[in-house]
Amino acid sequence: MEQVGRRKFLMTSLGGVLAVAAGAVLYPLYRYLAPRRNIDSLGKVSFPETEVPAGGAKFFDIGGATGVVVRKANGDLVALSAVCTHLGCIVQWQKERQDFLCPCHAGRYTADGAVVSGPPPKPLGKLPFSVANGTITVG
Amino acid sequence: MVLFKKIADWLEVRLGLRDLVDRELTGYLLPRNINAWYSLGSILLFIFALQVVTGILLLIYYVPDADRAFRSVTTIMNEVPFGWLIRMCHAVGSNMMVLILLFHMLSVLFMGSYKSPREMNWLSGFILLNLVMAVSLTGYLLPWSQLSFWATTVATNSVGTIPVVGGRLVEFLRGGTLVGPATLGRFFALHVAVIPLTIAALVGLHLFLLERIGVSTPPFGMDDTRNAWRGERFEYEGHPGGIPFFPNYLLQDLTSIAIYLAFFFLVVFFDPYLFFPKDAFLPANPFQTPAHIKPEWYFLANYQTLKIFPSEFVGLAVQGMAMTFLALLPFVDRGKEKHPLKRPLFLACSVGGILLWLGLTIWGHYS
Repeated sequence: MEQVGRRKFLMTSLGGVLAVAAGAVLYPLYRYLAPRRNIDSLGKVSFPETEVPAGGAKFFDIGGATGVVVRKANGDLVALSAVCTHLGCIVQWQKERQDFLCPCHAGRYTADGAVVSGPPPKPLGKLPFSVANGTITVG
Repeated sequence: MVLFKKIADWLEVRLGLRDLVDRELTGYLLPRNINAWYSLGSILLFIFALQVVTGILLLIYYVPDADRAFRSVTTIMNEVPFGWLIRMCHAVGSNMMVLILLFHMLSVLFMGSYKSPREMNWLSGFILLNLVMAVSLTGYLLPWSQLSFWATTVATNSVGTIPVVGGRLVEFLRGGTLVGPATLGRFFALHVAVIPLTIAALVGLHLFLLERIGVSTPPFGMDDTRNAWRGERFEYEGHPGGIPFFPNYLLQDLTSIAIYLAFFFLVVFFDPYLFFPKDAFLPANPFQTPAHIKPEWYFLANYQTLKIFPSEFVGLAVQGMAMTFLALLPFVDRGKEKHPLKRPLFLACSVGGILLWLGLTIWGHYS
């Protein structure tokens, strides 16, 4: 090999080694900084039925976001995502009017999550839930 | 690359970049006979940078509250991905920093680099030594383990022997009569912000002085070149006909840093708890002092000195005098000779001093 060939080979090898070293530093750094899944609010959330009175609502954490269970005046339960579909604020339950109001831009939803007025483009997402032995399980 | 050249040209017009590179990098000449000991400074700079980076990463998950600190460190070690690596790099790195610092100081002592005209460099270095000890001491408390709590109690107690203001000073340091949550608050602020910024500033001064005054030629090894041409800029001591810092000595420094990293990772991956006594794994209990509480290895000599003298104040005063002598060394030792074998008095005193320090350290470990 000529002088230039030898130099090129060595420099390329050095470049390769440095690239591996950089990877060895950056990968743990990325894993360290990346947000972790919280084991607690992952899959399902359960609570006793009695925590949701007639005409009332209960908010809870589920899967990293916020959900709500409402007991309508006729006794029916509804489980919805409490995240406003406009820009992501958490909606508030208005007991007197039996509907949801978003405090950020006054988006209004019915107790079933349908949009009544304001900027929200979509209804509140429905969450699957079941009731057994006096316990509500959402998710 | 063409792109590189275009950017360089763009910057050249605005900053005169080539001239800057010429002066600070390729034109910054160093004597030909610089030896491996001269790399220790760059290694220290690298260690400091690593400590800052790992420290900032730890800040993301560490909680500086007495009730949650220990738990947060356990979380970093066991639950955060690669948290153990970041934490161990930081803990081992702090010990390495003190070790390499001591070697750096030794090499400066033996090669006489502290002598005139480099007194300010020695002084800034001495202050840096104290700051590195302080940052280690304050950092030590943060995990809030039994070792943290009680080693800090012992360390802050010694300050109380200073006459008149001693008691007040201890309370000021601790934020209360005893070590507690208030101590954690102020030690955290010191460790994370105040001391590192001060270290950075002093390192800047130290490097500026190094370049302005000129690096000191080793008193042994190859002869420095005899080329007498000098440029027009101010340099107390220049090394015309020397070797450029960039890329030659930079590469040498990088090699030394790589060797240091090999040693560092050897400890981190094969014996990370080398510096951790068992008390480091127990959460702090303010009502129960462990049986053989001891400070870190670099404070063992101080600890043992305090134990030797019946009066704690005398023990502290003796150490104060020793440190003051060390700080003022360039003003005491005014001889021009730098070769260690041609300075018998200096050699005797320094070897005696080192053996004394080592002996006290070992005694402190076993006492």
